[in-house]
Amino acid sequence: MKSNKTIALLSIAGFLASSATGVVRAADMEGQLNIVAWAGYVERGDSDKAYDWVTGFEKETGCKVNVKTAATSDEMVTLMNQGGFDLVTASGDASLRLIAGKKVQPIDVTKIANWANVDKRLQDAPWNTVDGKHYGTPYQWGPNVLAYNTNVFKTAPTSWSVVFEEQNLPDGKSNKGRVQAYYGAIYIADAAVYLMTKKPELGIKNPYELNKDQYAAALDVVTKQRALVGRYWGDANVQVDDFKNEGVVASSSWPFQVNLLEADKAVMAKTPIASTIPAEGATGWADTTMLHAEAAHPNCAYAWLNHSLDAKVQGDVAAWFGSVPAVPAACKGNALLTDAGCDTNGMSNFDKIWFWRTPTGKCEAEGTCVPYSQWAKDYLAVQGK
Amino acid sequence: MRSDASWPLKIAATCGLLFLHIPLALIMLYAFTTEEKSFQFPPPGLTLHWFSAAWFDRPDIWPPLFLSLKVAAIATGLALVFGTLGAAALARATFYGKDQLSLLFILPIALPGIITGIALRSAFDIMHLPFSTWTIILGHATFCIVVVYNNALARFRRLQGNMVEASMDLGANSFQTFRFIILPQIASALLAGGMLAFALSFDEVIVTTFTAGQQETLPIWMLGELIRPRQRPVTNVVAIIVMAVTFVPVLCAYYFTREGESRKT
Amino acid sequence: MFNTLSDLFFRRPKALTALLLAPPLAWIVIVYIGSLLALLLQSFYHLDDFSGVILHEFTLSTYAELFDQSNVQIILRTITMAALVTLASSVVAFPVAYYAARFARGKWKALFYIAVMMPLWSSYLVKIYAWKLILAKEGIVSWVATSLHISWLLDALLSVPVIGGSSLSFSYIGTFLVFLYIWLPYMILPIQAALERVPHDYVEAAADLGATQAQIFRGILLPLALPGVIAGSIFTFSLTLGDYIVPQIVGNSRAMIGQAVYTLQGTAGDIPLAAAFTVVPMIIMGVYLTIAKRMGAFDAL
Repeated sequence: MKSNKTIALLSIAGFLASSATGVVRAADMEGQLNIVAWAGYVERGDSDKAYDWVTGFEKETGCKVNVKTAATSDEMVTLMNQGGFDLVTASGDASLRLIAGKKVQPIDVTKIANWANVDKRLQDAPWNTVDGKHYGTPYQWGPNVLAYNTNVFKTAPTSWSVVFEEQNLPDGKSNKGRVQAYYGAIYIADAAVYLMTKKPELGIKNPYELNKDQYAAALDVVTKQRALVGRYWGDANVQVDDFKNEGVVASSSWPFQVNLLEADKAVMAKTPIASTIPAEGATGWADTTMLHAEAAHPNCAYAWLNHSLDAKVQGDVAAWFGSVPAVPAACKGNALLTDAGCDTNGMSNFDKIWFWRTPTGKCEAEGTCVPYSQWAKDYLAVQGK
Repeated sequence: MRSDASWPLKIAATCGLLFLHIPLALIMLYAFTTEEKSFQFPPPGLTLHWFSAAWFDRPDIWPPLFLSLKVAAIATGLALVFGTLGAAALARATFYGKDQLSLLFILPIALPGIITGIALRSAFDIMHLPFSTWTIILGHATFCIVVVYNNALARFRRLQGNMVEASMDLGANSFQTFRFIILPQIASALLAGGMLAFALSFDEVIVTTFTAGQQETLPIWMLGELIRPRQRPVTNVVAIIVMAVTFVPVLCAYYFTREGESRKT
Repeated sequence: MFNTLSDLFFRRPKALTALLLAPPLAWIVIVYIGSLLALLLQSFYHLDDFSGVILHEFTLSTYAELFDQSNVQIILRTITMAALVTLASSVVAFPVAYYAARFARGKWKALFYIAVMMPLWSSYLVKIYAWKLILAKEGIVSWVATSLHISWLLDALLSVPVIGGSSLSFSYIGTFLVFLYIWLPYMILPIQAALERVPHDYVEAAADLGATQAQIFRGILLPLALPGVIAGSIFTFSLTLGDYIVPQIVGNSRAMIGQAVYTLQGTAGDIPLAAAFTVVPMIIMGVYLTIAKRMGAFDAL
């Protein structure tokens, strides 16, 4: 009770003083902050002046922000293992590995004034909270949608089968060579989500907790998919190109790519793209800003954690990246995101989404599960076939 | 005496050159496209906008450009000294193990760049050496040395030994002999080697990704721009300007090295 | 003092050689060979799969992993690609180098030189992305093919098993073409240098003795140009072996050695396996260099 009150008081105080400095005095700031982030997550207006949530923070706190962008969760884990960073915007498939490797430390949420504003469903999520300790603050989340070409699909496809099984699409031509799949091994979970409906007899309860037989079935789905996929997509902007120039008509994707394509009039005239979440549901990501166990600039880091939960910042990030903010208040009154933005980016789909998590050997659903290292090796082999 | 080239040869040579230049023409064309994020063919429209955008709106181009120039200049400078010394030593001397040594000297370019990169990275890790401009230079200088060494070696071999001997006989010491006899003879080879080393360093991305840490050289900046484009034609503008700026020195180097060659024969 | 030293060097050339050699040798041995050893050392460690932390205990299990079927496929695929690229680039480069060395004169010669050098000076990355546009399904090649009504030819090419694919930029053909393009100047320059070194007297003497152009080419120029070809092939082969950017941008997601090393090191953090992978190009190039050395290729580098 008491701590709740403190938080409330502090958050008010924080708002009044300044959203960025939180409860740490400016004199304690270390002058620098090193963040590992997804591309587009920490913008200082270099690409577009309207999208800048770094410059103000730097002026206010005197912490110079250095960003190292990473392309995959695995790369984030590697960078954090190497050290030299204070914060990382880790997805659920990286966060538990970082906690297990003792590379991140629990945070004191009472030092973060904006904590109270965070979506309650994200505060205690299994990918950021272990044994009641919070390892970081939620940042953004979103679904892995099915993007499709509306010339080919007059109505939205209702099943992931269009990317998993060889078939003729509504335009009469085979889907072979016209679909894509994500190149990260975590994509095997997408196949597992598909199997939950397709083959209920497998008894999959959680796509990240697969026993041997369930895993073999999911691996079989992605292995057969290899024949359909011309190239796997790993980079969001490369996928945008692929939809535009390579005749890709359906693929797992992020709202980020769909927004980019929909904003491009030339593309929409020739290859109009839309997105949907099929009946089977979808995987998705929920990212957490985590604090390195040996962070050299902890006060600047705490200031950033608080700043990152500011409603304006959250809305701006969501608009830029095509994600859903972790702070619901960000959905209203943000000029860049617009009031429709949160819904466009998938706000209402929270319950349909299986958020990325690292598959581990020990698991709740099955007792013994196939661990991620096996996923990674097998999926690399699948792509080489 | 010299007959003209046969038609098949002319055609094959022309096709080879066209193959080399059609993509360059394309890079130029797309510096003018009206598309911002991704390209399609043919371009929907043409504009000069990106040249002004590169100049006025993109302050993020300059620091990587200056870093790349700095790295290339220092790496080339180091390479000129070390590469020339190595070539001078190995050109005429005969000793046991010389063959193995000369093999060792070309290893950094004979082995793929990714090996140089990842090897340096592991060494930095082991020595707890933080990334800096110098870690980039260390990597670049290593292959630049080899480039200069190769160019200088060929020239040292053809150096007229009798002139060196004459100079020494006439009372000049080694240093005078080097300054007035050897240096003029090898200068053009050093220039060619230095230019090539500079070019390779300036455009290097494979080794640099491993040794740069969070610093951005121009190619790394470009990689970022190409992977997540906002104003993609700007990368083409930068590429064209680099080409245009280097055109004159490359041509000068050509004529300069030509003179060096013809004086000898 | 200068003179004493100078005399010493003149009388004891070995001392001069040693003094000259010391700094560059130290650089290569300490910076380069030292780093290579540091890397090799890592290949005897092993990665803990879950936490991604490297266990610093001597083991050969990483090398055992290298011989997994999928890894062996990566290695074979890369070597095949490198060999084909090398072969093709020597075929394409030869006429260009030959013309430039033997026939081009004056301004034309300068033009040839610039024409070969400019692609070297333009950004490697921008060139690769330009190729993506050329090879894309909606790209220039298919645009030209459609305009000339020869799309069927392109389709036939793409339907060839293994090398084909859903579009040129999603196929081995595409990867091959981009490699060929990017490394071609590295083949042209040494061949041209080797050809230019052929003394005029040889050719004249042969011509005086009644040899035809074809005979001169086969009997004199080709054998003398061979060291140039081998020197060039060291570049093209080695550069293809280690490149990770080209197959990532133009290709069909089937990994090559460079990509495997890059992903293992940067993305998966499995430095031991990455290190083990790098041993493969080291051995291949070691053998290659030894052969090349015997054939006198280093004089033409």
